[in-house]
Amino acid sequence: MNGVLDLPSTHDEAWRWSDLSGLPALAGARPGGRAPTGELWIGCGGPRLLFIDGAYRPEESDPGPVTVGPAEAGAGDHPLGRLAGHQGWRLQLARDRGPAATIEIVHVATGGPAHVAAEIVMDEDAQASLVETFAGEGWHNVARKITLGRAARLGIARRVLGGGFASLTDTASLAAGASLDIATLAAGSGDSRLDTRLTLEGGGAYGEAGGALLARGAQRHDANAVLRHAAAGGTSRQLWRSVADDRATCAVAARVEVARDAQKTDAEQSLKGLLLARTATINAKPELEIFADDVKCAHGATVGELDRNALFYLASRGVPPVEAKALLTRAFVADALARIGDEAVRAAFLADAEAWLGA
Amino acid sequence: MTMLNIENLSAEVGGKTILNGLSLSINAGEIHAIMGPNGAGKSTLAYTLGGRPGYEVTGGSVRFLGEDLLAKEPHERAAAGLFLGFQYPVEIPGVSNVQFLRSALNAQRVARGQAELSGGDFLRLARAQADALGLAQDMLKRPVNVGFSGGEKKRNEMVQMGIIDPRLAILDETDSGLDIDALRVVGHGINTIMRKPDRAVLLITHYQRLLDYVKPDFVHVLAGGRIVRSGGAELALELEREGYGALAA
Ligand SMILES: Nc1ncnc2c1ncn2[C@@H]1O[C@H](COP(=O)(O)OP(=O)(O)OP(=O)(O)O)[C@@H](O)[C@H]1O
Ligand SMILES: [Mg+2]
Repeated sequence: MNGVLDLPSTHDEAWRWSDLSGLPALAGARPGGRAPTGELWIGCGGPRLLFIDGAYRPEESDPGPVTVGPAEAGAGDHPLGRLAGHQGWRLQLARDRGPAATIEIVHVATGGPAHVAAEIVMDEDAQASLVETFAGEGWHNVARKITLGRAARLGIARRVLGGGFASLTDTASLAAGASLDIATLAAGSGDSRLDTRLTLEGGGAYGEAGGALLARGAQRHDANAVLRHAAAGGTSRQLWRSVADDRATCAVAARVEVARDAQKTDAEQSLKGLLLARTATINAKPELEIFADDVKCAHGATVGELDRNALFYLASRGVPPVEAKALLTRAFVADALARIGDEAVRAAFLADAEAWLGA
Repeated sequence: MTMLNIENLSAEVGGKTILNGLSLSINAGEIHAIMGPNGAGKSTLAYTLGGRPGYEVTGGSVRFLGEDLLAKEPHERAAAGLFLGFQYPVEIPGVSNVQFLRSALNAQRVARGQAELSGGDFLRLARAQADALGLAQDMLKRPVNVGFSGGEKKRNEMVQMGIIDPRLAILDETDSGLDIDALRVVGHGINTIMRKPDRAVLLITHYQRLLDYVKPDFVHVLAGGRIVRSGGAELALELEREGYGALAA
């Protein structure tokens, strides 16, 4: 990418928790181009795609129903999403169709920018699950548009493992009875900015956005999710777990919007933060905007430290402090990964969280 | 052989002196009981020996198996063979009993230079101990103490003791919250696991009934932060008859 990057500043309320100051350098850096990818595959036995520095690698891919090329990412004027361009991948599934196994996409950045646009369109009753891995050092910038037809079901699990910066922008619309679940694990050494906007357009749809954000050193994770209920009888869940050590920062802003016609909405938000050091920062901000009167909205936000009584109990049984901390921290984040449907994917994500915790 | 030797131990909690020159010596093969009024400092003694943060030793010394106990971190005290049965066992959501105990046992084994137990060997050991103490097998898979009844928590403490197989167990009111049958099972468990020539037990209790099952060699009265009287098993019966008031004389 050439020229000057036009990025929002931290004075902009929506961007105050993100530190974008490293992006111009990453955007202008020349990527190394090669990277080992062997251990990045979970091995779900389904279609697989590899992108290195935003470029598709057909020789190491088996795309199945996914097509590579132009994609309408629908990021609008999102300051980072709009930079992702119009090239990437597209998954279109016709009525009742769906790959038998989880689709696996690995993105590796080798020091520079990695822009990918993506689009998922699923017709009535189509089903798919997808796992994405972001690794390496660089700037992953993905914008994606998701359109689910009636009763279509999509589960996305993604993990950010590398250094550098990952900005992942999703915009989704769900028809009646459709279901979408996006779970994100940030367990790398870099920063992230997650923007997820799900709109339940049809009645009785289900939307879920959540994840586990792990940060230490000077890392920053900034997650922003908006669950918009536009029709009646929808259900949404937002379950985020943040862990911050050293001088790191995690910020989660989770918003529920209930339109006037969206009666019988059932929305839950659970935002919990765990500070592993007093010098770390966690900001958990649940927001509600409700225009219907017959709705059930539950939200909770708590930030705390590890339970001292539990730490001593573990120590009294012989568990050393580092291991005790890791055990309790793992238990704290496990909730956020528990709903990943594919067992191999869930196990891999838990192992990543454990590796991050050093257990 | 002297297993535990406490000399003139003083300790504060929250800036307040609770233990005030306490001395007590326990030999291998012995079972000691400590009784005493509420607030006397019995749990404080247990926590201080366990190394709980906030329990500050201000004087005296403690030697355990020939080593300076107070110089060790809490997990090192456990690895050295000390076990603390909690008056109020702690709930740990999200961590299963099995995971907790396997981490604990293997950490202790590693600290002692032994090989870790495999998953299968550990499960066999855990199941056998749960059976011996009448704890339902499915409770091993549940998060540590979460949703356990008072009595189940105490049984779970004893299952842990059986798995860890310590040299010295300090059991803080393990009998409280147990029904009559559970008391018998737990008493039997303590005898089976700990009544051996190279083991020792310090039982903290308010009642004679546990001592009917686990017969103490010595009984001590803790009051005002020190041991004010010691005797044989008959002292517990005397206390039960006459209360602590008579001791003031
Ligand atoms: N954190 C604390 N700050 C101040 N005082 C404390 C603290 N913890 C305990 N104490 C006090 O220390 C004293 C001894 O408490 P401890 O729990 O050791 O008594 P105990 O003999 O075990 O009593 P019980 O028979 O009721 O279990 C009590 O007066 C108690 O209030
Ligand atoms: Mg007590």
